[in-house]
Amino acid sequence: MMRPFVEALKAFKSTPFRSADLVTKLGYAAGYARNFLSQATRQGLLIAESAKGRKGKNFRVNPNVVRRIILKGGKEKEELLEALGLTSRYAGEYVALKGFQVLDHDQDVYRLGERVFSDQKKQREITITNVGIPKKIITIEI
Amino acid sequence: MRVARCWNFSEDEQPPYPTIEVTMSSASGKVTASPKVDTGFNGSLAIGREVVRTLRLTPVGTVLIKTASGHDEVPVYVVDLSQPDLGLAYTTLAIGTERSLVGRKLIENRAWLLDCKDGKFCVMTPMEPERGHPAAVQ
Repeated sequence: MMRPFVEALKAFKSTPFRSADLVTKLGYAAGYARNFLSQATRQGLLIAESAKGRKGKNFRVNPNVVRRIILKGGKEKEELLEALGLTSRYAGEYVALKGFQVLDHDQDVYRLGERVFSDQKKQREITITNVGIPKKIITIEI
Repeated sequence: MRVARCWNFSEDEQPPYPTIEVTMSSASGKVTASPKVDTGFNGSLAIGREVVRTLRLTPVGTVLIKTASGHDEVPVYVVDLSQPDLGLAYTTLAIGTERSLVGRKLIENRAWLLDCKDGKFCVMTPMEPERGHPAAVQ
């Protein structure tokens, strides 16, 4: 599930797409594309919307997935950051994300935290994480 | 320099270790605890599962940290921290770890006495020069 999701995220970001776009842009077989869309929508990875004046549905990546994957961590987090194009741009830094949008970034996670979490209400919307191995990594002895 | 305030070593384990009493709070509660002072921790605060549960904290992200055994990915929380004796009261990021720890960010820019003889960890303040003493003139 993660591989086609990451590919869709990389290709379309927050732009709506259709089943046919997965066939033409990503080279998926029509049946595979339909199965993926159905499963990913059920899992909350994608949001399905009715296409105005057109047959079929539009899909877009659920921005809340960004937070879910980052909190889960691991390889999926790395793939997500790569798909969002952050790995090359912010390597060694920490980023504060709201959905797909980078609100702020810094090499010092504490400085970043001070800036983005000064408003308590934002704590539910903003997610922070490292991109690659941080230049100013937190070290701990135990 | 004079001793301003001391905290007893904790004897929960051997050898006893230095601690500082801190108060951590969130919208859901408040906890006062005496975490171990870990001078090998370059952050401000690490919180154990018990504190996370009591304060009902939800993570605001995950970060990669470097431990004695390699790299680890840990959750990050936002916590209100206060330590009146050090004049500290601010909102900070805290990493989620096995146990609560106080790091170097909390003790930096101050002089400390590690008194292993009496098992105390003390913050030091400069002596105020007496009136008429040459050091007071300038």
